[in-house]
This record gives sequence, structure tokens and C-alpha cells, in this order.
Amino acid sequence: MKNIIFSMAASILFLAACNNETKKNETTSSADSISAAAVDTTPKSQQESPINNIISAYLQLKNALTKDNDKDAASSGKALETAFADFDKSSLTADKAKLYDDIATDAKEHAEHIGANVGNIKHQREHFEPLSQDIYDLVKGFGASQKLYVDHCPMYNENKGANWISESKDISNPYLGQAMPTCGTVKEELK
Amino acid sequence: MNGIKKILLGLLVILIIIQFIHPARNKSGQGMPNDISKMVAMPSDVQGILKKACYDCHSNNTDYPWYTYIQPMHWFMNYHIESGKEELNLNEFGTYTPRRQQSKLRSIENSLKDGTMPLSSYTLIHRNAILSEAEKSLIINWVQNSKDSLKKGSLTNP
Repeated sequence: MKNIIFSMAASILFLAACNNETKKNETTSSADSISAAAVDTTPKSQQESPINNIISAYLQLKNALTKDNDKDAASSGKALETAFADFDKSSLTADKAKLYDDIATDAKEHAEHIGANVGNIKHQREHFEPLSQDIYDLVKGFGASQKLYVDHCPMYNENKGANWISESKDISNPYLGQAMPTCGTVKEELK
Repeated sequence: MNGIKKILLGLLVILIIIQFIHPARNKSGQGMPNDISKMVAMPSDVQGILKKACYDCHSNNTDYPWYTYIQPMHWFMNYHIESGKEELNLNEFGTYTPRRQQSKLRSIENSLKDGTMPLSSYTLIHRNAILSEAEKSLIINWVQNSKDSLKKGSLTNP
């Protein structure tokens, strides 16, 4: 009898401990993302685009994936999530604000999943693909301060192919990483 | 009475008390005008699989197993339902933007391919929610058709 009571009590404690753990993780991760975002806020160009912080966090994420670095990818994912959350919509027209909301609700979720999946780079890349589409639409709608390239990898996802945005004309593949770093072509230039 | 006995008695009392505390059940009982089946064609075999393996945590209507009537299992289950609905609520699919609908369908496909869903802690008890390869490919095909039918040029492809 004592054993039964004790094991029940232990299971309650265990469940309670689980919940505490998640909360703790959340607080640390948000602290991390704030510091990561703070590093990224330096403007890089004289011509300011409102989405600069978002772009630079995305490019950091992209570069982490090209190096197969899941930890850096996760921290840039968190920085990207923060950049979306901190974006100031107050100066936007109603149309632009709507476009931004449409893109941001989707993109934030992808960034969140990438941030939460250290150790699972495959899953990070699964979210990176639709995220790249979101970033493309964002650049189309708001412009960027730097020249950007739309690259295409024909082999990713069982040869279905996928796109990404890059700051450099040279191909460095974030989907296949170091296994096939130069696989891909430039499809479009964004200014 | 020694200290350990007191502690055990205290825990027993807590265990009995929490049996009377239950969060609201996830049962809406309302019509579901925004259900995914209203948005895309859903053959009955697909609906059957989604109902038995997905809807418990990804909708507003959970089929509760008996053990959730014992606490703290109800809290545990409730936590799963809350987080499941936050990621994807098939009853609310129609309220998502077209962009998010595409993302969610894609994630259904990926999680089936990667084997991350249904959760292993769920299939531990719901043995019939373990999907066969045939059932998985049925859902994956349906997801692809649904993505195409919802697309209608709402997304530009670079």
C-alpha cells in the first residue's frame, strides 16, 4: 500500500516538474533571443529598409544551415522571431500592414520551430523552405537595403526543389549543406 | 506517527482532492463551419484516419479515454490538447490565411514522413492511431491535392 501511494505521489511530482521545466526553458530562450537580436540591429546600408532586421536574421539563419550548424540556426531562428515581433507597423499603410500580418503570422511560426529544434536540422530545413517564400514575398513588398539573390536547389525534398534568398551571388546551399555546398542556381535578383 | 508517514498521508490527501478538480473538457458540440472538410474535398477514408489519429488533439472535440477521468492524467492530456490545438486546429482551418493553410498542410505531410506524428506517447494507448504505410501515403496524397486545390494563384513562386 505504501508503495502504491508513494509511486502515485512520485508521478504527481514528476508531472509538476515537467511543467516547471518547460517554463524555465521558455524564459531562458526569450532572454537568448533578445541578446541575439540586439547584436543584429546594426544597420548595414545608408538606404534603410523597414525589414532590415528581419532580413539580416534570415541571412544568419541561412548561413548557419549552409554550415550544417543546428545550434546557430536555432539561435538565428529565435532572433528572427524577435525581429518579426518587434517590427514597427505604425508607419505602414493599411494595405502594407495587412500584407505584413499575413506574412508575419506564418513566418513567425516557422522561425519558432527552427528555434526549438536544436539537434534536428532536417526539421529546421523543412521550416526554412516555406520561410524563404515568406521572406521573398516580404522583400517584394517592402524592398531591401542590399542586393539579394533568389537561388534554387533542384535536388531538395526528393527532387521537388526549393528556393532560398542569399546576399551573395555565389551559391552556398542551405538545404544540402556541406554535403553539396555548391548545388543550385541563381534564379532572380532582388533589389 | 513519524515524519514519512505524515508526508505520505499529506500526498494521499492531495491526490484525493485533485480528483475533484478537472479542467473544462475539449468538447464544443457546435457546428464546425471552419472545419478543413468544408475547405477541401475529404474522402471518407481520409476522414476516418484523421478522426482516429489526429482530431483528439487537433480539433475542438476530443474523444476522451477512460483514464483521463483520473487526475492528474486529465491535466496531462489537457496540456497535450492545448499545445496540439495551438499548432493546428482542424476545426478552425478555414480561419487561417491561405499562406498558413499551405504551411499547415505541408507540416502535416512532413510530420507523417518524419514519423513525429501521431506522438508516440499518444499511440502508446491509442494503438489504432499507429498509421500503416498505406494510410500514411493516403493522407500524404490527400494533402498534396488539398494544397493544389487551395492554391489558386494566391502564392507567387519565385
